[in-house]
Amino acid sequence: MSAGVLWILVGLGLAVVVARRRTVGIALVALQAGVLGVAAIADALEHAHGLLVAVAVLAARGVLLPGLLLAVVRATREPRPPASEPFMLPRLVLALAATVAAAALIPDVGLTVAGAAEATAALVVLGIVIAAVRRAVVFQALGFLVAENGIYLAGLTVAGGIPTAIELALLFDLLAVLAVAAALGARIHEHFGTSDTSLLRGLRD
Amino acid sequence: MTEPLVLAMLAAPLAAAVVLALPLAADRADRANALAAALVAALTAAVAVRGIGADGAVHGGWYVLDPAGGAFLAVIAVVGLLSALASPAYLAGDAAGFFARRHARRSYYAAFYVFWAALLAVATADNLAVAWLLVEATTAASALLVAFSGQPSALEAGWKYLVLTTLGLAVALLGIVVLYAGLGAGHGSLATLDWQRIHALSGSVDGDTALLALVLILAGLAAKVGWAPVHNWLPDAHSEAPPPVSALLSAALLPTVMLVAWRVEVALHPAAGGTASALFLAFGLASLAVAVPFLWRALPLKRLLAYSSLEHMGVLALGIGFVHPLATAGVVVHLAGHALAKSLGFYATIPLLRDDPGLASRPARGLSARSAPGAAALTVSLLSLSGLPPSPLFFSELLILLGGIAAGQVVVVALAAVLLALGFVGLAHALIESVVTDRPRLPRAARRRERRLVALTAVTGVLLLALSAASLVIAGSDTVERLMGGVA
Repeated sequence: MSAGVLWILVGLGLAVVVARRRTVGIALVALQAGVLGVAAIADALEHAHGLLVAVAVLAARGVLLPGLLLAVVRATREPRPPASEPFMLPRLVLALAATVAAAALIPDVGLTVAGAAEATAALVVLGIVIAAVRRAVVFQALGFLVAENGIYLAGLTVAGGIPTAIELALLFDLLAVLAVAAALGARIHEHFGTSDTSLLRGLRD
Repeated sequence: MTEPLVLAMLAAPLAAAVVLALPLAADRADRANALAAALVAALTAAVAVRGIGADGAVHGGWYVLDPAGGAFLAVIAVVGLLSALASPAYLAGDAAGFFARRHARRSYYAAFYVFWAALLAVATADNLAVAWLLVEATTAASALLVAFSGQPSALEAGWKYLVLTTLGLAVALLGIVVLYAGLGAGHGSLATLDWQRIHALSGSVDGDTALLALVLILAGLAAKVGWAPVHNWLPDAHSEAPPPVSALLSAALLPTVMLVAWRVEVALHPAAGGTASALFLAFGLASLAVAVPFLWRALPLKRLLAYSSLEHMGVLALGIGFVHPLATAGVVVHLAGHALAKSLGFYATIPLLRDDPGLASRPARGLSARSAPGAAALTVSLLSLSGLPPSPLFFSELLILLGGIAAGQVVVVALAAVLLALGFVGLAHALIESVVTDRPRLPRAARRRERRLVALTAVTGVLLLALSAASLVIAGSDTVERLMGGVA
């Protein structure tokens, strides 16, 4: 995996922070998963094992999970992004600062590709930032996916890769969590007429 | 014989989830639930007894059974059984909301048993990555249960719980991948992350890598345990979930995830030294410090119990962090005492909230005039949780603090003692405000569900006293020695 690919992965994560439309955010994360999936398939071809798993993971991460979120978007039509969301520039500045800090602080953890540890840390932090600064349910769910894509990147670049059983179980867990998120998101939209999570402020002490 | 028993223990709740997901009539579903709960609890108790009696950890290839795991399994069995038996009383009310009314009962039971199965599996998982996957699986099932009422506040609680714990667990997963990379042997092999293998190999891991992995894993798990400062979901989820689920969350989920954290501490000790203990102590003190001010405030009952959970998870963290036999003895007693007392408190809210739904959003006042059984149950629960003698939590906290002194952590002990004393005063005050009144008792016959609450209160009271007696002999016994050496 080249440095260029790592930059693309982080760039796509940053783009989710500023994307205006939910469908654009989903497309960006699907593209990110696609890039990782192609890298996994190339790696599997090179080492002559794990091809089936790599294809399955690509299909799930790049198609199934984004498809689930697109179904949520279709069921929860909204004319414009939540007004409560911070402006684009402050969001971007915060995300950039967090990304740079994460990449700078992570030590060498023994991944086989130069820069992979930094990109992993950046994507996990970006996932958290996306969940924190974006208000729409779908964007917060995209935060999970960006963070998970970061961990998948680490799994791809660790020597020997992560065990197949764990990779598949992780995918199943992700699907279950995202399905619950989709169900909760649909109910939130039904009750509040919007998927703006800033309205979820009834519970305060 | 142990392996088939462990398999049966894990398969039984999953089978129950499948059966109870079928469209059964309400009374048949409730009867099937009672039967299934008794079966799961019996199987779990059998496994727990083997674990507690084991001389060190028994590794069965894919599962591990150790004395500490046995103690946690016993707690999950009891709380799961009681919560399952308390569920029909909750479902008899206007419980539908998140699910369509005709699906509500079966959706509840299916999610409940999947949640219970995942908890049992976490306590017996012999592998860090598998334990993580199972902890994540508890999130999916329990988030649906938290939002079960379908009220806006429940949706909010369910969403916060899902987002915060999932992101926390993502951080923990990153830590696991870092550890996996650092272990450097057995690439591509799941067995690399077996508890024993981590312990055996971690001494060779680069110091920075081990430290990073430890911090990421513990910080991520802290979000699921609900330790401060990453506890924000806890009061909301506990207060909005159905009471039987709140009991399972507070008395079983939080400690079970803590067991995973404890195993991480033990497994990484050769690489990280006392850093893990220091992190436990920091989380413990932070949780106490955050919880205590809320125990002084007038809060709705379930929210008060939720902040009490935060306090008690802090106490357990301190007990683990002191790494001393006295403190370990205290942890086991505290785990069981907290589970009994907290569950009783949550079950007591079922009839109280049925009679007065407003209690969900405002502090309770003068409950003794309204419901003597409810007031009695809350009195037993809150007095026990406050640590008033002869509550087992008094003895367990004493053991933990003495363990801390023996371990040389005098400053931490002093701070914890002050915070525990303040917490005691807060809970005692809340109890007086909630229960005591000079108004005359409303004349009415005790209803059936209240008679059950009276029986549950009596049984719990006896068990708590028995636990207090046990706490006087457990310190210094060989049980503690086995617990110290037997965390995976």
